[in-house]
Amino acid sequence: MSDPAELSLTDLASAIRRRKVSSAEVTKALLARIKKWQPKINAFARVEAEDAMKAARAADRALANGKIRGPLHGVPLAHKDMYYVKGKLSECGSKIRKGWIAPATATALVKLEAAGAFRLGALNMVEFAFGPTGHNVHTGHVRNPWMPAHVTGGSSSGSGAAVGARLVPAALGSDTGGSIRLPAHFCGVTGLKTTNGRVSRANAMPLSFTLDTVGPLARTAEDCALIAAATAGPDPLDPTTDGAPAWDSQAAKRAPRGMTIGIPKSFYVDDLERDVDQALDDAIATFRKLGARIVQVDLPDQTLVSAAALIVIAVEAASYHAPWLRGRAKDYGEQVRNRLINGTAYSGIEYLEALRWRGPALAAHLAAIGQCDAILVPTARSAAPTIAETDVGGGANAEAVILGVTRFMRPVNYLGLPALTVPAAFSKGGLPIGLQLIGRPFRDETLIALGAAFQNETDYHTRAPALP
Amino acid sequence: MAKDVAPERVAAVAAAARIPLPRDGAARIARAVTMPVTRFAAANIALDMEVEPATFVAVQRKDAQS
Repeated sequence: MSDPAELSLTDLASAIRRRKVSSAEVTKALLARIKKWQPKINAFARVEAEDAMKAARAADRALANGKIRGPLHGVPLAHKDMYYVKGKLSECGSKIRKGWIAPATATALVKLEAAGAFRLGALNMVEFAFGPTGHNVHTGHVRNPWMPAHVTGGSSSGSGAAVGARLVPAALGSDTGGSIRLPAHFCGVTGLKTTNGRVSRANAMPLSFTLDTVGPLARTAEDCALIAAATAGPDPLDPTTDGAPAWDSQAAKRAPRGMTIGIPKSFYVDDLERDVDQALDDAIATFRKLGARIVQVDLPDQTLVSAAALIVIAVEAASYHAPWLRGRAKDYGEQVRNRLINGTAYSGIEYLEALRWRGPALAAHLAAIGQCDAILVPTARSAAPTIAETDVGGGANAEAVILGVTRFMRPVNYLGLPALTVPAAFSKGGLPIGLQLIGRPFRDETLIALGAAFQNETDYHTRAPALP
Repeated sequence: MAKDVAPERVAAVAAAARIPLPRDGAARIARAVTMPVTRFAAANIALDMEVEPATFVAVQRKDAQS
């Protein structure tokens, strides 16, 4: 068999199950690859080589005895360093949680383990998941595997870089303000921001209890579906998942013919860099070719929806961090500290009105998209900027840079919608460009179906960066 | 309608939350939060009295069942 790092999660899981390659061989190959890439991109916070090899050998022994734990049997993964594992470090990209040992395991990881996966280690992230670029003054910036002078996007920076560099076939990220979709876009991978309430957030580090979501970054839409299928569904530890539907594998395989895709008339199509604009036009043509009906949609004012999102995330993040802001403010990086303190400035009425408006805002969005199965928009207005040009710390320019990078992110979070970012082009400079398909509540599977069909027609998701 | 956010308001709210601000912090924060505050206020959204945060879940689930 050729290099197992080249296989998608779906193909890798199948190859292990059919004993074309052993879990131990895969793990060894990925560990060797991590050794080469880590000094270049800083994707991993910690590599747990010994534990991973033990888990791989156990998976191989079980398979030899005819026991398959689940669809991810023997597959090594790694996740953002905010998914707790009982008895293990979970430092959340911070100085404040340096050395912190988690008291319980995240439900998402429990479910992945039940499906047969195990961990290669923990992935770097933006401090407390509060930043969109991938900068981190405590752990060092994670670097884009395509061009290490460029950002990965954040806050799931290590997840985007590790999947992009083929160090792991998939990784969990989290998305509160774009933290899965931005790294997917900048690193050339596929990322699924799940519907709020679809995947349990229990024992994952919180940032905003209203907006936090758990989801995968992987090479393909089909790979994201494997992770989503394993992790979705109700969890008594997270009441927001009460009544959440289990994953519908059939719906995730629907053909696009007859589906309707909306293209917004404004906001998402304004002021795009030429490469991104072209990628959107090309993707529209691809979906037309696949038999989808393309219609224009007139969305409610997205700047207002974004403003409401900013108020909610700011206040909730400040609330979580208030004890440390009172006693350990100097232990935050400047940008994260400033942004957390910003959350103290909103009044109770402003916060609660932003929170109460969420239902009516979602109803207005759904009315505007009519019968659309999804809308298709850019993930960001450009490919990855450099680390240097976005290294604004807590300076006067910080808010403007952050708002620029996250411009197309926040409405999805505020409205709790699912969204899938798929690689859709490369810039003239050779950096990946992703587009996002934004769906209806709890119809994450529709996005997978559209993404998979798009990836059957294109090859952007198959391209891999060379070792810098 | 709020036209901007005054540093004095920022200092007062932070003090009520017992969160110390750095020197010149109130002015910086006021600048940072002015956009969302004024944008949201400008919309002058009139919410029905019956609307609560959980209304979101009701809307979400209704669409999923349709």
